[in-house]
Amino acid sequence: MEDDLALSDEASDAGSEEVLTPAELINKLEEAWLNEKFAPELLESKSEIVECVMEQLNHMEQNLQRARQGDLKISFHHMEIERIRFMLSSYLRSRLHKIEKFFPHVLEKEKARGEGEPPHLSPEEFAFAKEYMANTEALLKNVGLRHMPPNLQTLDLIKCVPKPNLDSFVFLRVKEEQQSILVEPETDAQSEYAIDMEVGSQHLIRYRTIAPLVASGAVKLI
Amino acid sequence: MDASEVEFLAEKEMVTVIPNFSLDKVYLIGGDLGPFNPGLPVQVPLWMAINLKQRQKCRIVPPEWMDVEKLEQIRDTERREETFTPMPNPHYMELTKLLLNHASDNIPKADEIRTLVKDTWDTRIAKLRLSADSFVREQEAHAKLDNLTLMEINTISTFFTESLNHMYKLRTSLQTPEDGQTQEY
Repeated sequence: MEDDLALSDEASDAGSEEVLTPAELINKLEEAWLNEKFAPELLESKSEIVECVMEQLNHMEQNLQRARQGDLKISFHHMEIERIRFMLSSYLRSRLHKIEKFFPHVLEKEKARGEGEPPHLSPEEFAFAKEYMANTEALLKNVGLRHMPPNLQTLDLIKCVPKPNLDSFVFLRVKEEQQSILVEPETDAQSEYAIDMEVGSQHLIRYRTIAPLVASGAVKLI
Repeated sequence: MDASEVEFLAEKEMVTVIPNFSLDKVYLIGGDLGPFNPGLPVQVPLWMAINLKQRQKCRIVPPEWMDVEKLEQIRDTERREETFTPMPNPHYMELTKLLLNHASDNIPKADEIRTLVKDTWDTRIAKLRLSADSFVREQEAHAKLDNLTLMEINTISTFFTESLNHMYKLRTSLQTPEDGQTQEY
């Protein structure tokens, strides 16, 4: 019985600190995870969500350590923690994957960011990207470039590494109604036209057209 | 995305179970569940229902739509209409598969249900292939996909978007050879 009270108290405490309830937080994480999975480019870092979820998980794990083992209830909590942790690590992994794939462009974008804008990388991801870039450069130099004639020894990673393909198609579901989205024609023979997106409707469209809507959370990728 | 990840998302759907044990309310991060009383139906997420079922701690009540008559109707409308008809649940395929694999003894006429859902699925996938074909042929830049479920989208999405990208690359390099290079992968 004491376990119950402890668990419930701490859960609601953590909830009132944030504006979101823990359940809403998990939904946010799920959305961030799916968006990141489907977007061709690296999206804005959601480090706040990640931190809150980590906090929740740690909280719960500490409580569970104190609790009696082998209880049915404990196994429920363990299963839930595993599910949330899976989403969290899958989210972080897909971000790292994109950083490895597009590192010069990711760093370039981060450098070009204005003062007030939110960062695209968390501090840890930024350190990772910088180190990855330095290591790649060092590797290429040591293995190949230093054996080249001097006039061929320059290396421009921005040109070497492919850019994210923003023109790729994505599937999305609309969360907030959007009007007159301009759809660019596929061929010169067709002309541009506008579409309206109702709440709950699903679309297949180029990422470039709706990228701002993904960032603002008006649509989610599926 | 992997099909198992779609299944992971489907496991969040709530189902009704009848437990054979008693337990107070459980305060999970994702929300409160219970209390559990023997013989009294209670709503739990599918992942928990399956776990309880595997430990023989509950009986799963099949969702309302998982019924031969209703599914026959759904299958017939799906065959009659040219567009995609709304499905009873956004994860109907995953739910059917998981429930029939783990709790077929709690679902009356399980085999018939399996066939009906499979028939509906096949009809929908055939429609999906047709519309993908016309999307490519008309060189459309936008498509509306209402009533398609995540699993259905997921079966074609990787292949489809990749092929569209390839075709786009070929076409743009035909139209403007200089720009083609920036699209190189």
